Amino acid sequence: MKKFLGITLALVMALSAFTGCSSSSSTNEANDNNTTVETEGGSEGVMPAIAKEDIKIGVIHISNPAEGSGYTYTHDQGIVAMQKEIGLDDSQIIRKNDVADDDPTAIETAMLECIEEGCNVIFATSWGYMDTCELLAEEYPDVIFSHGTGYKSNGKNFNNYFGRIYQSRYLTGIAAGLKTETDKIGYVAAWGKDNSEVTGGANAFAMGVNAVNPDAKVYVKTTNSWFDPEGEKQAADALIAEGCDVIGQHCDTPNPQLAAEAAGVYGVGYNSDMSKDAPKAVLTSTIWNWGAYYTYAVQSIIDGKWTGENYFGGIHEGLVDLAPLADFCAEGTVEKIEEEKARIESGEWDVFTGPIETNTGEVIDAEGKGLDDATITGGINWYFKNIVEK
Amino acid sequence: MDNENTVKYAIECKGITKTFGSVVANDNIELTVKYGEILALLGENGSGKTTLMNMLSGIYHQDKGTIYIGGEEANINSPVDAMSLGIGMIHQHFKLVEVFSAGDNIILGTEKKKMKPKALKEEIRNISKNLGLEIDPDKKIYNMSVSEKQTVEILKVIYRGAKILILDEPTAVLTPQETEKLFALLRKMKEQGCAIIIITHKLNEVMAISDRVTILRKGKSIDTVNTSETNEKHLTELMVGRPVSLEIERNEVENKEKILKIVDLTVMKGDGTKALDDISFNIKTGEILGVAGVAGSGQKELCETIAGLMPAKQGAILYKKENIIGKSPSEIIKLGISMSFVPEDRLGMGLVASMGMVDNMLLKSYKDKKGFFVDRKPARELAKKLKDKLKVVTPSIDTPVRLMSGGNVQKVLLGREIESNPNLLITAYPVRGLDINSSYTIYDLLNEQKEKGVAVIFIGEDLDVLLELSDRIMVLCHGKITGIVDARKTTKEEIGILMTGGTIGEEEEND
Amino acid sequence: MTNQAVQKSKEPFARIVKKSEMSGKNVAILRIMAFLLAIVAGGVFILCIGENPFAVYGAIISGAFRSVMAFQGTVKIMIPLLITSLGVTLAFKMKFWNIGAEGQIIMGAIFASYFALFHDTLNHTLLIFAMFIAGIIGGGLWGLIPAFFKSKFDTNETLFTLMLNYIALHIVSYLRDGPWMDPGSQGYSKIATFSKNAMLDRVMGVHIGWIIAIILTVFVFIYIKYTKQGYEISVVGESHETARYAGMNVKLITLRTMFLSGAICGIAGMVQATGSDKTLTTAVAGGVGFTAIIVAWLAQLNPVMIFIISFLFSVLEKGSSVLQSSYGLSTDCADVLQGIILFFVLGCELFVRYKFVFRKKGGA
Repeated sequence: MKKFLGITLALVMALSAFTGCSSSSSTNEANDNNTTVETEGGSEGVMPAIAKEDIKIGVIHISNPAEGSGYTYTHDQGIVAMQKEIGLDDSQIIRKNDVADDDPTAIETAMLECIEEGCNVIFATSWGYMDTCELLAEEYPDVIFSHGTGYKSNGKNFNNYFGRIYQSRYLTGIAAGLKTETDKIGYVAAWGKDNSEVTGGANAFAMGVNAVNPDAKVYVKTTNSWFDPEGEKQAADALIAEGCDVIGQHCDTPNPQLAAEAAGVYGVGYNSDMSKDAPKAVLTSTIWNWGAYYTYAVQSIIDGKWTGENYFGGIHEGLVDLAPLADFCAEGTVEKIEEEKARIESGEWDVFTGPIETNTGEVIDAEGKGLDDATITGGINWYFKNIVEK
Repeated sequence: MDNENTVKYAIECKGITKTFGSVVANDNIELTVKYGEILALLGENGSGKTTLMNMLSGIYHQDKGTIYIGGEEANINSPVDAMSLGIGMIHQHFKLVEVFSAGDNIILGTEKKKMKPKALKEEIRNISKNLGLEIDPDKKIYNMSVSEKQTVEILKVIYRGAKILILDEPTAVLTPQETEKLFALLRKMKEQGCAIIIITHKLNEVMAISDRVTILRKGKSIDTVNTSETNEKHLTELMVGRPVSLEIERNEVENKEKILKIVDLTVMKGDGTKALDDISFNIKTGEILGVAGVAGSGQKELCETIAGLMPAKQGAILYKKENIIGKSPSEIIKLGISMSFVPEDRLGMGLVASMGMVDNMLLKSYKDKKGFFVDRKPARELAKKLKDKLKVVTPSIDTPVRLMSGGNVQKVLLGREIESNPNLLITAYPVRGLDINSSYTIYDLLNEQKEKGVAVIFIGEDLDVLLELSDRIMVLCHGKITGIVDARKTTKEEIGILMTGGTIGEEEEND
Repeated sequence: MTNQAVQKSKEPFARIVKKSEMSGKNVAILRIMAFLLAIVAGGVFILCIGENPFAVYGAIISGAFRSVMAFQGTVKIMIPLLITSLGVTLAFKMKFWNIGAEGQIIMGAIFASYFALFHDTLNHTLLIFAMFIAGIIGGGLWGLIPAFFKSKFDTNETLFTLMLNYIALHIVSYLRDGPWMDPGSQGYSKIATFSKNAMLDRVMGVHIGWIIAIILTVFVFIYIKYTKQGYEISVVGESHETARYAGMNVKLITLRTMFLSGAICGIAGMVQATGSDKTLTTAVAGGVGFTAIIVAWLAQLNPVMIFIISFLFSVLEKGSSVLQSSYGLSTDCADVLQGIILFFVLGCELFVRYKFVFRKKGGA
């Protein structure tokens, strides 16, 4: 318990450090949890600068970017964008693919091989790499470890990067809410209620649905794995059998969308634009634009401004977005999404602003202050009122 | 073959050679059989008889040489080829489906399977009748005696139209009476024009049944003689390669003492049937008690029960007046009871095939020294001693015994048992598969033990040997003792009757 | 007689014929030739996917040896493989088909992890010792269960041990998702990283598992070759009948040996969890339990050969992983290469025992 408190505390402190700095760069904040990322100038770096020619980056992927869609592909597109933006040579980037994120020895081997080949920056893109990063950061203090989607950092050569994907989910929820005819929307979730990231995402999606269609219910089914091709398909099939006619997802493969297409229903993809995989089904996709972070991070290392602090970008930073809407979206979808997107981007409003009613009748954030980042990343363990757990 | 030959042979083998790795099993063998003739193929174990026959029946293929069937060159690549050439082989181990009836086994695998059961039975009955056989086509194999099973095997090949019959040691499992019946059948088939090859190493049978004898020695065909122009002694010399004496000495030992007394012993088999049924007998020091009986009459169980490997259901085994039932095998070994059982595959129990002589010496004695480690020194010395004393042929005392020839393996086994200085030596089939010389070495060893005052239980197959070697002979039949007779006074026929469960007038009382 | 038809049938093109036992030297030569052939065949495969075989093989070798760090990586892969191979060897020597090394590794790791997670305040040496013993007991028990059922009810140990693998694996999942879930993980299923106190010390840059592995190699060598218990294992492996005949308690020997076999695999699990993974995951065995079977057989159950062969396997494994990043070859290609090499090396065993005889030309 102590450990947990400590981590939360550290996280809150780290995030508030961001917010402190951000006031100088951001324009106007009604809610100061909106733009927390310092994008230019400000604090001094904690690691020595590395010249552009000397930088060498190791990327650890859980699967293979060649898959052409999904989680790893999206991250790798971000790396490619960063390489282009900054102008790095191919030899300055080493990729380690198919590194199982539940096998610490394999992870360590992959990272050590990167270090052995001269890498001084390592981007670890999967959640399970976190603890190994933490250990190796201590052992190799000269190497920068940047870990995606986790929550640990050491404020020096090990940080965490993540984003406000819920903002995009809220917007895609609007598309789903407008499209459904059965008023039943399915949602394939990687993890259950205990997981704040997934649960918050589902809530944001459901709130988007609710904003345009108060009658619709969102049916959430969990697979208990980030990456489970078969389980994801089965979950989607079950939801479709239940009567759902739009399938949202928070898991790694496009299988739920393929299942939707096969059943002649619609869906909302995740990670990359999944209309490539299921063009007849995908209304839009919640997408990551990791390039925004990778470029920012590598540039700050080159400039000597690496702070080792956590990164938590959103729509405003361009880290998250939604894919172009399909032309078979319901009428009025484009306009409604534009409207809401502008509201979020400007910082005028954010998704988790109360009062929010849960499906057990509780009310969250009754005062309407908006949830803080620590709660968003680690404290959402309830479901929005229109969610039905399956 | 250009048609210079006026005689058309059923089988003619020319220059057959077959090697297994470095071992030359058949070396340039010549053999001929005519229709209407019985040829005995005589040779010691390992002389290549079975290999040659396996080539005729399509199991192996010769490396060199040609086989002519009915005067025409034949290429026998599989047992199916052999069958369609009219060659039928009766193996030493029957190849029958136990749960099928005789009729089913006979038609199994033939082309004419569409026949109606009734007509089929009729046909089988007809064939049997022609040969003077009694067989019930509906009887299941597992209900049959060994001799009945053999009959089914023979019918099986005749049904398929075999005109050439090869029998591999057919009498090994039969009583003398059953053997006589088999021979009558073979003679009948010969009259009907069949060519028959019978493989054996029993000289008396060769003399009784065959027209000609081909003798193999060490993979070579040594000679072919007409049976009417030869005798056992001559055949032995041809087989062994030099004159041998066929006499086993039998001395009388003084001061016999009763050492083992078995009282009302009943032992069950795994399937719940009785392996030994209320048997009682005793044995004295300085005596060889021969045990005769058809295979599977309870010999193995008797050995194992005394050695503590099988539990007894009833009765007692009194060794020096102490009941040893319930003692562990190692305790029994320590009492000086030694058991060596040579099973059909020869290695089985008693020796570890993949180990050399040294490690095999350790088998019963490795625990003698205290401590965690094995002491191989005494075993090594013992192995050397045995190698010299018994003239064991092996590249080294560490060569795995499975690479040694059968005779040498058995010398190692028996040698080790004798070296453990037992008071009671139980040995089952110690000469199984041995050549004549090796056999005599073993008989000498047993006699030597007897003279030293050891009680020897000798379980054997060859009645002639039992009669010559033993002091008394106990006959087992279906787990019962049908008689214990004085070996000096009894006859082979008498034992044969006892083996099949018959009784004879004067039965010696136990005790 | 209808021999006309058959007469025409030709001698088959090739026949498989048993060979005489080969000398040890010839067998060794045959194996080396198989290995070379495998390299050539692998090279053809590499050529087919458009790479230079020499460069790729070079990359594998250099990937395993190019630096101290690379070599340490190779050793780290070798440790659990070596230990597990030694473990299964004891069972195989007894002809007890222990396919359950995977499960025994996992159970060893679970038992050791209990101390690492909940008693990490113990004195370091004491803790390591406790974890070591726990690993032995965990793996040993998992080996004992199939042995018990085998000796009591004559169950099939191959299936039994195989099934136990899955049970062990799911126990880890259960612990990970339930009682042992990292309280600080925010709902993600994982077990916490062990505290420093519960990690194995390092000697020369690699956790002390390598020392344990070497000691175990010597131990197993001596155990099999020079002890009474080792002798008993060989006899029981050859024939239960013979063992009973020699006055051995076959049940006891079976149980004892399987405990030992499982215990050694359990040590591998403990070493892997506390030395390399520093936590308990479902990947703690990661197929090592199966690879170990191949290693043990290739080495003909000889501990010294096991040492050499598990080292070669580790070189291949480590080198392949570098291959992936430096050549952009997918890890699957490396797996294909490994498969090709295994195919040849295992395939050559056929030729140790048999040879082909081809039809003579123009003969008959």
